[in-house]
Amino acid sequence: MEIYHYLLYYFENSPTIIQIVWIASCVLFISILILIVYLKYLRSGLRKNEKTVIEYQKEYESDLITYLYAGNEEAEISAEQQAIIDKLKSCASDEFKRRIIVSTLLRLRNEISGEMADAIQKLYFQSGLISYALKRLKNDKWYVVAKGIRELTQLHVKEVHDKIVTLVNHPKKEIRKEVLLYLVTLFHFDGLKFLDLLQTQLSEWDQIQLLEVLQRFDEQEIPDINQWLKSTNESVVAFSLKLAKIYNQFEVKDALIALLSHPQKNIRIDAIHVLNHLQVYEAKPILKNNFDNLSQEEQIKFFKLLENLSEISDEHFLLAHTTHQNFEIKLLALKILKTLVVEKFKSMKDFSTDADYVKIYEYLAYN
Amino acid sequence: MNTSTVQIILIIIHSLFFIYAFFAIASYVILAIISTIETIEYVKKNSFVNYKEILSSTISPSISIIAPAYNESLNIIENVRSLLSSHYVNYDVIIVNDGSKDDSLEKLIAAYSLVKVNFLINQQILTKPIRAGVFKSTNPAFEKLTVVDKENGGKADALNMGLNISNNKYVACIDVDCLLLENALQKMVKPFLEVTEEKVIATGGVIRIANSCIIKDGKLLDVNLPKKLIVQSQILEYLRAFLLGRMAWSRLNGLLVISGAFGLFDKKTAIEVGGYDTNTVGEDMEIIVRMRRHMEEINEKYKVAYIPDPLCWTEAPDNYKILISQRNRWTRGTIETLRKHRKIGFNKKYKSLGMLSYPYWLFFERLAPIIEVVGIVYFVILMMLNEVRWDYTIAFIILAYFFTVLFSIVAIFSEELTYHQYKKKGTGFKLILISALEPFVLHLFILYAAIRGNFDYYFNKKKKWGEMTRKGMAKAENN
Repeated sequence: MEIYHYLLYYFENSPTIIQIVWIASCVLFISILILIVYLKYLRSGLRKNEKTVIEYQKEYESDLITYLYAGNEEAEISAEQQAIIDKLKSCASDEFKRRIIVSTLLRLRNEISGEMADAIQKLYFQSGLISYALKRLKNDKWYVVAKGIRELTQLHVKEVHDKIVTLVNHPKKEIRKEVLLYLVTLFHFDGLKFLDLLQTQLSEWDQIQLLEVLQRFDEQEIPDINQWLKSTNESVVAFSLKLAKIYNQFEVKDALIALLSHPQKNIRIDAIHVLNHLQVYEAKPILKNNFDNLSQEEQIKFFKLLENLSEISDEHFLLAHTTHQNFEIKLLALKILKTLVVEKFKSMKDFSTDADYVKIYEYLAYN
Repeated sequence: MNTSTVQIILIIIHSLFFIYAFFAIASYVILAIISTIETIEYVKKNSFVNYKEILSSTISPSISIIAPAYNESLNIIENVRSLLSSHYVNYDVIIVNDGSKDDSLEKLIAAYSLVKVNFLINQQILTKPIRAGVFKSTNPAFEKLTVVDKENGGKADALNMGLNISNNKYVACIDVDCLLLENALQKMVKPFLEVTEEKVIATGGVIRIANSCIIKDGKLLDVNLPKKLIVQSQILEYLRAFLLGRMAWSRLNGLLVISGAFGLFDKKTAIEVGGYDTNTVGEDMEIIVRMRRHMEEINEKYKVAYIPDPLCWTEAPDNYKILISQRNRWTRGTIETLRKHRKIGFNKKYKSLGMLSYPYWLFFERLAPIIEVVGIVYFVILMMLNEVRWDYTIAFIILAYFFTVLFSIVAIFSEELTYHQYKKKGTGFKLILISALEPFVLHLFILYAAIRGNFDYYFNKKKKWGEMTRKGMAKAENN
C-alpha cells in the first residue's frame, strides 16, 4: 500500500512530460500483454484450424466419393445421394465449412473427367453452393467478387455469362482478370469477344494466362483477329499479335504489315517478330527501305527477320552493316553473310580492325 | 559563457535529441502501418493467383539467374542443384566462378559433366577477363547451366560478367548459397508483367534465415527456429525490416535497396546504367539508387517492386565476429552510396527519391548509429558531472524499451497473419522472449559494427569485404 501511495505521489508531483511518458509506457506495456495473449490465441487457432481443415477435407472427400458412386439407374438421385446433398446444404451455411467443401469439390473435379465431372458440377448446383458464389458477385469487397468469379470459372458455370461480362471494364484489375479468365476458360475463342469491349490495358501477365488457357483447346476455330489488330487499345493489338504468331495467322499479313507504322515502338517490334515467324517476304523491302528511321530494337528485330528471309540480293545491305556500331547487328550481319555467301565471308577477315568485329569474325569462323 | 547561455545550449541539445527520437519513432510507426496495409493487400491479391499457368508457359519471359561464387567449394554442387530445380520454364543459370582459389570449378566440371565451349560475349560492361573459359554441360538434364570462370574481381564484377553473358530479358542476381523456393521466379517476375502504367525496373524479395532449417536436395523441408540467440535475434530483425519496413517503401515507390542475396532486374536498364559498381561494398544498394536516378533523369515512369513472400532462404552469421564484419560492410555500403549520389538528396528534381527516400536513409539509417553514440557519450558526461535527471532517464529508457519490444511483437504478428512460417508449438513464446532480449543481445553489437563501419570508411580505406565463413546449409539436414 505504501509503495502504491509513493508511486502515486511521485507521479502526481512529476513534470507533465514525465507523466505523459509514464502513461505512454503503461499503454505500451498493456498493449504488449494484450498482443502476447492474442498471439497465443492466434497461433493455437491457426494450428487448430489446420487440423480441422484436414479433418473436414477427409470427411467431405469421402462424402463426395460416396455421392459419385451411389447413383442408381432408376431414380435420378438415390436416397444416399440425397442424404449427402442435404448434409452439404446444411454445412454450406457455415462459411468455413463451405470453403472446404468448395475446395474439395474443385480438387476432385480437376482429378476426374467425363460423367463424374458433370456429376460434381450437378452437386454444386443441388447443394446450393452456387447461390453463395452468386451472392459474392454482389459483394462490396473486390476480393470476394474476384474469388466468386474464380469459383464459377473452376466449376464451369456458364449460366452467369451475361452477369460476368458486364464486369469486363471493372476498375479493379484483379476482378477484370478473373472475368477474362472466366470468358476464355468457358467460352474458348468465343470468349475473346471481350476484346471488342475492353477499355483498359491488358497486362502481359493477363495475356500469358489467357493464351495458356486458349492453348488447352485445339478443336476451336480461331476468330478473325483483323479488327483486333486495328484496335485503338494497344494491349489488344499486342495480344492479337501473340495470337497471330501462336496460331500462324498468315491471312492477317496485311494488317501486320500496316502495324509496321504503328505509333508505339513495342507494337512495331512485335509486328516484325510475327512477320518473321510467318515468313512474310513483303515486309522485308518495307523495313529495308526505312531501316535508318527504325529504332535500334527494330533494327535488331529486322536483322533477325533477315536471318530467315535473306536472299542474295541482300548482300550489299548486309555488307554495309557488318561495321554497324551495335554489337548484335554486327553479329547478325556477319552471321547471315556467312550463311548466304560463305566465300565473301571468308574474304572479310581483315575488313575491319574494330575489336568487336575481330571477335565476332573469329567466333563465326570457328563455329 | 555564463550559466544562462550554457542552459540555453543544453536545452537546444536536449530538444534536438528529442525531436530526432520523435521523428525516428514516428517514421517507424508510419512505415509499419503502411507496410501492414500493403502486405494485407498483397496477400489478398495473390491468394487466388494461379502461378502454374505462368510457370508452364513457354511464352513467359526469359530469366537468367546469375550467381557469383568465390571459394564456395563446400556447398557449390548442392547450391547449383537448388538453383536448377526451379519450376519456371524459361530460365537459365549462370554461375560466375570469380577467381576461386579452391576446387569449385573442378567440382562443378565433374558433377555437371561440363565442357569448355566457344562463347561469344558482348562486353557491354567492362569486367575482369575470363580465366579458364565458359562451360556448358554435355548432359541435357543440365542444359540450363552455364559456368563462367574468370579472374577475381569481386561480387559486383562477377555479376557484371553475368549481365554480359545473359541473353535473357530479366536477370535474377542472387548469392550462390541462397536457397530459392521452386516458385520464386514466377512470383518475382509477376510485377514486371502486371504493371501497365509504369516500367518495373527491379523486384526485391524477402530474405529468410535458413540456419537450423531442414534442407534436402536443394529443397526446404522444415522451418525451425535456430538455437543460438544471435541467429534468433536476426530472424526478428529481418521480420521487422522486411515486413514492417520495405513493404511500406515499396508502396511509396521509395525502395533504395534490394537485398544482394536475391533481386530480379530488368537487364536492359541494368546495362544502360553501367551494371554494378565495382568500387563499392554496397553494390546492391548502389545499383538500385543508380537505376532510379537514371529513370528520374530520363523522366520515365518507373517502379521498384517488392515481394513479401518467403522465397529466398539464406545462412545468417552465427557468431559475433562475422556478424560485426557483415554489418560493418553494410554501413560502409550505405555511406558510399549516399555520398556517391548526394546530388539526389533534397533535390526536387528527383521527386520522392530526393525528397523522401534519400533524406530518410540519411537521417535514420546513415546517421542513426552516430547520433546514438553521441547520445550515449553525452549521457556519460552528464553522469560524470552529476547532472543526470534520473526520473527522466528511467522514464524514457522504459518507454523506448517497451516501444522496441512492441514493435518486434507487431512484426511477429504480421508474420503470423501472413506467412506463418514458424509453426511449431512453443516457437511463439520463444519469439516473444527474443523480442524482450534482442535489444541487449543484438542491438549493441550492430551499433558497434556501424561505428566501426564509419571508422573504417574514413580511416581504413583498404578494407573491402569481410570474411563470411560458410558452415553450409547441407549441415542443417542433420540438426
